[in-house]
Amino acid sequence: MTIQLTINGTPRALACEPHESLRAVLRRAGFYSVRYGSDTGETGAAAVLVDGRLVSADVMLAAQADGHAIETVEGLTVPGEMHPIQQAFIDAGAIQSGYSTPAMVLAAKALIEKTANPTEAEIRDALSGILDRETGYLRPVHAVLRAAATMRGEEPDPIRVAHLDRLVGSDAPHHDRDGLSPIAPRVVLSEDVPVSRVVGHAETKTDAVKLAKGNPAFTDDRDLSGTLIAKVLYSPHAHARIVSIDDSAARALPGVRAVLHHGNVPRVRYASGGQSYPNPLPYDQVSFDDKVRYVGDRVAAVAADTEEIARAAIDLIDVTYELLPAVFDENDAIVDGAPVIHDEPGMEGAHDAGHNIVHHIQAQTGDVEAGFATADRVFEQTLRVHQVQQTPIEPHIAIARWDSDDRLEIISSTQVPFHVRRMLAPLVGLPVRQIRIIKPRIGGGFGAKQEMLIEDIVAHLTIATGRPVRLELTREEEFISSRTRHPQTITFRTGIDAEGRLTAQEMRIVANTGAYGTHGLTVQMVSGMRGLSSYNSPLKRFDCKVAYTNLPVPGAYRGYGAPQALFALESHMEDIAAAIGMDAIEFRRRNWTKVGDPIDIAPQLGEGDPGAGTVPIITSSGLEEAVLQGQRAIGWQRRDDAAWRQPADRPHVRRGLGFAMAMHGTAIPGLDMGGASLKINDDGSFNLLVGATDLGTGSDTVLAQIAAEVVGVGTEDILVYSSDTDLTPFDTGAYASSTTYISGTAVKRAAEQVRSQVIDRAALLLGVDVGSVDLHDRAAWSTDGRSVTLGEIALSTLHQKGQHQIMATASYVSPDSPPPYAAQFAEVEVDVETGQVTVMQLVMAVDCGVPINPVTASGQVEGGMVQALGYGQCEEMAYDADGRMVNAAFGPYKIYRADEMPRLEAILVQTMEASGPFGAKAIAEIPLDGAAPAIRNAIADATGARINTIPFTPERVWRALQAL
Amino acid sequence: MNTKYHRPRTLDAALALAAGADAVILGGGTTVNARPGRPPGVLVDLQALDLAGIEMDGGTIRLGATTCLQEVVDSGLVPEVLRDLARLEAPGTIRNAATIGGTIGAADPESPLLTGLLAFGARVSVARAGSITDRPLEEVLADPGVLRGGVITSVAIPAGGRAASHGTARTPMDRPIVMAVAHRDAGGAIRMAVSGVAPHPVLVDPGRLAELDPPADFRGSSSYRAHLAEVLTARALATVGRGDRA
Repeated sequence: MTIQLTINGTPRALACEPHESLRAVLRRAGFYSVRYGSDTGETGAAAVLVDGRLVSADVMLAAQADGHAIETVEGLTVPGEMHPIQQAFIDAGAIQSGYSTPAMVLAAKALIEKTANPTEAEIRDALSGILDRETGYLRPVHAVLRAAATMRGEEPDPIRVAHLDRLVGSDAPHHDRDGLSPIAPRVVLSEDVPVSRVVGHAETKTDAVKLAKGNPAFTDDRDLSGTLIAKVLYSPHAHARIVSIDDSAARALPGVRAVLHHGNVPRVRYASGGQSYPNPLPYDQVSFDDKVRYVGDRVAAVAADTEEIARAAIDLIDVTYELLPAVFDENDAIVDGAPVIHDEPGMEGAHDAGHNIVHHIQAQTGDVEAGFATADRVFEQTLRVHQVQQTPIEPHIAIARWDSDDRLEIISSTQVPFHVRRMLAPLVGLPVRQIRIIKPRIGGGFGAKQEMLIEDIVAHLTIATGRPVRLELTREEEFISSRTRHPQTITFRTGIDAEGRLTAQEMRIVANTGAYGTHGLTVQMVSGMRGLSSYNSPLKRFDCKVAYTNLPVPGAYRGYGAPQALFALESHMEDIAAAIGMDAIEFRRRNWTKVGDPIDIAPQLGEGDPGAGTVPIITSSGLEEAVLQGQRAIGWQRRDDAAWRQPADRPHVRRGLGFAMAMHGTAIPGLDMGGASLKINDDGSFNLLVGATDLGTGSDTVLAQIAAEVVGVGTEDILVYSSDTDLTPFDTGAYASSTTYISGTAVKRAAEQVRSQVIDRAALLLGVDVGSVDLHDRAAWSTDGRSVTLGEIALSTLHQKGQHQIMATASYVSPDSPPPYAAQFAEVEVDVETGQVTVMQLVMAVDCGVPINPVTASGQVEGGMVQALGYGQCEEMAYDADGRMVNAAFGPYKIYRADEMPRLEAILVQTMEASGPFGAKAIAEIPLDGAAPAIRNAIADATGARINTIPFTPERVWRALQAL
Repeated sequence: MNTKYHRPRTLDAALALAAGADAVILGGGTTVNARPGRPPGVLVDLQALDLAGIEMDGGTIRLGATTCLQEVVDSGLVPEVLRDLARLEAPGTIRNAATIGGTIGAADPESPLLTGLLAFGARVSVARAGSITDRPLEEVLADPGVLRGGVITSVAIPAGGRAASHGTARTPMDRPIVMAVAHRDAGGAIRMAVSGVAPHPVLVDPGRLAELDPPADFRGSSSYRAHLAEVLTARALATVGRGDRA
């Protein structure tokens, strides 16, 4: 059928099928700002204005829009100009990946047209249908407030970094929080940090303009004609052997170009986790196997002319299964008689495959039993953490094609393009040199994309068909077939002396890695690291069994073992303090690691060289200041206010405040490596080519700031490109909180070489010694005040005399992993009759060294806290008795939306970490570590209920209250 | 895929199409179009019929079937409790398309808005060739088959009275695990509707809650839901005031 409609003011006639969604038809017509997040309208990434009202184009048929006026964000775009709403999103730091920014901009437009002066509640309601996994909504909401003000003719205050007074060692009254804008980045300065021009400032994100405009920037926005659509047949059974596959009917369907399964794809073993060479054992996967190990495991893949044909072909594949008994709980999986999940011949690299034990990790410093024997008291506590999903709003997507040189080019939403290239090569029988991986903008990853998850499928299909092939996971497929966070059963045993000091600490874990190993070893090693290095104990022991089960596969999820460990540890420490009658923070303070303390268990858990006999030493910590800042921000003294704790007008409500500390790592020492290349252009701008993989965090911007600081230009003079295995230097990728620290140091080193080359030419042009030249304000200055611009230097070196390209490449690997620290606070209300917990406020004060960009760093903390909130309170992958996920959609799988958020506050506590670029440590993952235990401890403060299992759903809390 | 799309201009034309065996009525389409695979059928889009709007008709508030939920939220005629429940029903991107008639037709088993309408004693007008019948919402929810072949044209609720809703959920705007909505009319009669304790929202006698046998899911066991029904109905009753004291 043909529909007539107006799109952004222009009448259009569009051909469509009656069942097609408005999203599909708009994208086909080139409106790429309308993005896929779900088929069922829950994400709002595809929201557009229809007759001025914001609606989901996922669940509106194009046919329904016939005769109506459609607006997309492309309609706001005037060349050279930004719409005030787009500008406000940029200014407020409201854009991270930008995947759903166009929808938010449209929501704001519709609201402001209706209400010139909207309240925050009205804005939150207007944004309620657009799920954001990245920002915590704080900055988007304030962007809309600012946009409305601008459109009323007012001039909103510029976003300034607020410098908070240092509280450690000061007892003067402070008024520095009075009237502070909720989105002003809060920074507690350290006098050890030198003043800088670009670093440390709230620079605009380098990709913000294109994201605000909704320009085609993501994988799915590449328009390759003749692209086939891939679909995957997923196992409906948790554990089964494939007795036979009959693909004849699927192959016979017109439009089907290839059907792949274990019968026609070579069996090459691999591990899918995106990690450095050699990938950790076991290699327990093949592209298509004759056995399925969880509901959602791959069975077959199809490439067809259209998505409908591909779906139909999937339905025509006739598979006969021999069902096998399944096991889902990690503790049940490792006992005698449990179903053996990896019984295939040639299986190697697992600790004890016959008992489903993939790894048995052990580490210790001295004899803990002796420490327990001398302890005044010994406490033992077992806790359980569950399975959640990263849920990037952009699901996994990859497009493969043969390029004109017959090389396999894959555009993929991946955090690890270089790992994918190397890992893919043997699977498809091509040399590495014949594969190119391109990473465009990514709509969030959070670790789910630190995996070679689907690239092998599109590669096999392109090889089989000779055609470009695109595979995008649906939301349901993203839940069941991508990656998740590892469930664990964790037991802590801790001895303390009469003064409340730890004498020995033991952590035992049974971890659940689902059907495949992937990150099973390293995630659990991080759990051990975080569980046993946050507090000083002279004696420590770690014992962890990692179990195969028939659950969907856990992998990398922001935090990477730390959220599990710190939930357990910070619950345990809280309860010990209560048991011995000591203030919960004072008890921790007595024991937490401080500057100069050794991280003695690190070498045994993959950080540092166990043979070298050296132990990492903590060189910077702002934890004490972070705790004081957080206490002040949350109003910690309210814990002593009986009238606040039990409001008179709501007799069933109890209020409480909770705390958790967090300590994380910064990159994997001796392993994570990043490369960077910097070259000058004719006008004195620079191309910065990095292998580092910005997945929405703002790392491109941070790297540009580092380069700009060194060569004396502005961030806007640095053109960042990330990342492409053909064009950019190697980088291990965006994971392990490594980009600022590792890739940032590589950028700094490359920039220092470039700086030296620039100064050489400047000295020549100015007729002075190189020692008397400084670079700033896009020019080289001699001490006598004369200058030559970088543009003049570029023209001189490129065209005029002694011609050469000013450029440099550098890379970096660090022997250190300096820990960032954080203090997380939570305020809750508990309905003691129903168990319902309402989280009112989350405050996190973080020591990330020197924040290179306080706005993007604050955004990392705000959004990260909200993911952690979901982990603790409301997110869970729920299964039926047969291992089928029963809530593989947003809504049933609950992530927070804009109109139900607690108040959020991030505070950045500077420390000068000498090993980091301009003093920086990591910030990306630590925001995930504290909210669950802080909420748990707040519930305990409010009610006395100490809950050792997450999430804190109403029934769980109610049952805990009944048991008091 | 063999889908046909129709946008009838008259109710009679819509009814003629609706009588077909594979007819699917589209209000806003937010439920129908979200179904996996969008099975083929004859889609009958009601948007061109003059069925939208909210009006006061004596002591009755009449909501036209194609009134979108956002209009319910924004209406000054609709009691505040129902407006809040319409807001809780779905986020803005859905409320701007989803209709009140579609909400009844889709019959989400945990719908907060349907729970509220049930408490208010909503009556559903269903048109068929040659006739329009009024049915209590509870009859429609108990047997959605009564809608087959017909078209919902409006929903009517009484104006006046007092109402209250209390729910328990994982987060503030999450679909409640259990919700109780009480409505007390001007004469003091109370209707209590509860979601999450049966396959669809039901009217309950607050004195006979022990007879409920709620279905369990991962968010709440049967016994917990029964407990919530006790707590939440008591709160709703307390908020509207007990009828016998009115």
